Amino acid sequence: MSGHHISSAKFLWGVGIVLLVLTFITVAVTWIEIPSPWNVVVAIAIAVVKAAVVAMFFMNLWWDTKFNILLLVMSIIFFMILVGITLLDTLYRTDPIPSF
Amino acid sequence: MAQTSANVKKGDHVQHHFVDSDQQFESAKMGMWIFLVTEILFFGGLFLAYIVFRSWYPELYLMASDHLDTFWGAVNTVVLIGSSLTVAMAIRSAQLNQQKGLIINLAITIALACIFMVIKYFEYTHKFDLGIYPGAYYAYDGIAHDKANIFFSIYYMMTGLHGIHVLIGIGLMIWLIVRARKGHFHSEYYTPVEITGLYWHLVDIIWIFLFPLLYLID
Repeated sequence: MSGHHISSAKFLWGVGIVLLVLTFITVAVTWIEIPSPWNVVVAIAIAVVKAAVVAMFFMNLWWDTKFNILLLVMSIIFFMILVGITLLDTLYRTDPIPSF
Repeated sequence: MAQTSANVKKGDHVQHHFVDSDQQFESAKMGMWIFLVTEILFFGGLFLAYIVFRSWYPELYLMASDHLDTFWGAVNTVVLIGSSLTVAMAIRSAQLNQQKGLIINLAITIALACIFMVIKYFEYTHKFDLGIYPGAYYAYDGIAHDKANIFFSIYYMMTGLHGIHVLIGIGLMIWLIVRARKGHFHSEYYTPVEITGLYWHLVDIIWIFLFPLLYLID
């Protein structure tokens, strides 16, 4: 199986360091009180970037068949459909579930 | 001598219903990705619960999150990223026929996973001491909100399910070391290492989202 992609040790360490830097940034942005909706947006955006780096370069999707990327993207799309349709209900209730 | 034994091994792992080693490898990997899709949707249900209750009680999340220790959450993030790196290094070792490197990297991964679980244990017991239990067992009055138990129910469900995945990962990694010591893996066949690696990276990705969503809100 000579066709498989083999990452160099240097590259893998580089990816690891990038992830650690992003972890530091996501903690550091909480020190500079960003106003309300945007702090969540920034936190999620950094998490998405980190997840994408892991998926592309640790899970090797970058060099993989497109079908496996398609599977990952589809799972995210279906998760968003789940969230979207549920919020259409829960956001517009006059009273949330009484006992909760 | 090594040459001939490698030649004997070469075709051994290919099951009769596959054309060749590559097709078998790609099929196994695709199967794993389909499993990971179900895992994403499995955790997705919990993320949805998080989102719905946060939209209902945004102030509760801000108050309750103060009771989670950002420092230990961050340490655990670093530990898991480190373990993802060592898993990637383990796969590289297997691809290069480095028996020893494979076993060492898997062992470091297990050690990091255990550190993660130990930190999680101390976080949980600290909360239990305060009376912060999930659901109806919640018995802490430090948070001035009627629904305080909801945040911690979600916290325990999400981190608990994630913790179970870490424990399963440790089990899989031990299995890989046992097989690696028997010399089962080499550059032509390392599918179980690759596939366990994919699983482990997904567990890391889930934590990457859990950390800011649970610990970093205030």
